[in-house]
Amino acid sequence: MRRKRATGKAASPAVATVVVMRLYISGNAPNSVRAIANLEAICEEYLKDGYKLEIVDVFEQPIRALTDGVLVTPSLAKVSPAPVANVVGNLSDRSNVLLALGIERRAR
Amino acid sequence: MNPELDAPKQYSSALQVTPGFEDLIRRLIKGHPERQAIESGQVDAIIDPATGRSILLPAAQEALREDQARDRSLVRLSSDWQWEKDKDYRFVSCKGATSGSSEFEGKTVIGKRLWDLPFDNMSKVDWQGHRSELERHAPYRDLELRARDRAGRVRYFSVSGEPIFDRQGQFTGYRGTARDISNLKLAYASPQESTGIAHATLDALAAQICVLDSAGTVILANRAWRAFAGAKGCVGIGVPEGANYLAVCDNAGEGERVDGIAIAAGIRQVIAGERELFRHHGYDGPSGRPRFMLTATGVSGDGAGRVAISHEKASGREDGEPLPGLGYTVARRAAIASHAAIAKRAAVANTLLAAMPLEEYQRLEAGLEPVSLTFGDVLYEPGDSIQHIYFPRDCLISLLTQVEDHMALEVGLVGSEGMVGIPLALGIGTSTVRALVQGTGAAMRMEAGRFQLALQQSPTLQRELHRYAHLLMAQFTQTAACNRFHVVEARLARWLLMTRDRVRSDQFQLTQEFLADMLGVRRVGVTNAASALRRRKLIEYSRGNIRILDRKGLSAASCGCYRIVKDLFDAAQG
Repeated sequence: MRRKRATGKAASPAVATVVVMRLYISGNAPNSVRAIANLEAICEEYLKDGYKLEIVDVFEQPIRALTDGVLVTPSLAKVSPAPVANVVGNLSDRSNVLLALGIERRAR
Repeated sequence: MNPELDAPKQYSSALQVTPGFEDLIRRLIKGHPERQAIESGQVDAIIDPATGRSILLPAAQEALREDQARDRSLVRLSSDWQWEKDKDYRFVSCKGATSGSSEFEGKTVIGKRLWDLPFDNMSKVDWQGHRSELERHAPYRDLELRARDRAGRVRYFSVSGEPIFDRQGQFTGYRGTARDISNLKLAYASPQESTGIAHATLDALAAQICVLDSAGTVILANRAWRAFAGAKGCVGIGVPEGANYLAVCDNAGEGERVDGIAIAAGIRQVIAGERELFRHHGYDGPSGRPRFMLTATGVSGDGAGRVAISHEKASGREDGEPLPGLGYTVARRAAIASHAAIAKRAAVANTLLAAMPLEEYQRLEAGLEPVSLTFGDVLYEPGDSIQHIYFPRDCLISLLTQVEDHMALEVGLVGSEGMVGIPLALGIGTSTVRALVQGTGAAMRMEAGRFQLALQQSPTLQRELHRYAHLLMAQFTQTAACNRFHVVEARLARWLLMTRDRVRSDQFQLTQEFLADMLGVRRVGVTNAASALRRRKLIEYSRGNIRILDRKGLSAASCGCYRIVKDLFDAAQG
């Protein structure tokens, strides 16, 4: 079950701040399912301009989990733009996620 | 790969470590945020940094186990069998929801391939196609197989499968489901059978029968209809499948013209759903003897067919022969009613244009251009040469005349029933009146030169316009008399009703100043008359928005002039 989601292409080439994220999950385990839903809601609301989200199921790709240094699932890694950041848990604390993604200043 | 189904192998070990779970967490997780997340129950699994293996926390384990149980029960509910095959496509298991055994018609399927079983609907080539799918390790959906059961009944099965790969990505076989779809197939098969019976029945009938789609194209015809192909004097009976029957009727030749127009109009009404049944009797011109009867019946349903046509010879039919004259009247009225209906349906059509036979209209159409006319636009002043003629669709044009130093006075009103620029139809190139747009809307416009040319080529247009010119003259004379003899209140009522008939709405925008101009009185006169009508609850108005509340009452309040002109128009249009 490899899921790659890339939605909300940049509106114009001038907008280059596409947020790249990776979410590590464990199949259909409850917190993993919740984390996906929470993150998609946040992306929908704050990252319309553009984002790339890769969802890595560690059941399927244990090696990826190892090489990426994932400690627990679910956990979210912001890959770019710098600085990189991590959030663990089911991402229900929205302000914490926004802070990690560096988008807390972009008011609605 | 489906982690839900494979998962138990991975995390069964996690169950065993449950007693020392606290130690494990302490050993593996050093960071504060991770600990906090675990404590608040937001974590599903810990990744063993040595192996990358997932160690599920107890809550997640429990949830996944329930999840799998649910999936399995859903699979059981939605299929009759669940099976697994090895890498040589031989069944290794097959569990039946009903029998609980791995037997197919009394014989075990274990160790057999699908093509070893007695299915009789697959040719060698079909099986080869299926095998090449399997060799590509592709999933397959709803492979339909047929077999006879021990009682000799035909049974249908639908089989779906997905490849299985092991941890190393090696293909190990297929897993899937099968369903008995015999009842479903039978349900599908019966309409086909009844269609076949219906075709045979139609062919056996002596009457000519066909089915038209919404455009009037013949989509089905019986044998008798086909045998009529090319026969003369039968208004298109026998036009082949794929040809347009309505077009043939529209363009019917000499001697069939009246029948053709009436039939096309009736059929169009049936297609539009305005009537369920249309019947037309054809008569022999000189003798007046009934020649044929044509019946059009609406077809309901989702198919393309909209109307069924049946044509029968009248000879031998003696019961209830209507008089030929009546037949003609019925046909003519049906044709006119249909035109009115078409005009009404489109809500924007011009009655004069709608009355044109299709062929002539198509010739005319090239010169017509749609325009939008706005309140206050002046199309002509008195003495102007007419550059364009206008067929109003949903706009309203006042024809005004002006006597020196006096206010303008409306002498005529043109809406979708008429044409602006009628002098040109009578061979005069200048306007004697001012044509003022007093209701914003759409119209079709034609350049004067083109119009004159079109008029020469179209006898129908000539006839319709002469008829209309006559009506307009009647309106002029009646209005002239009315303006001289009748009180403002009655004239206002007449004028509101005339406007209503032309815009086909009980509500329209008008200022009292404008009304005063129309009626040739001072504004205060209009105000008094309008107040009187309002007091009688016949109309209401506010800020130039007038609404007719009681049409009958207003008609009674108007002078007889309204009725006289309206009756003339109604009579002319059937």
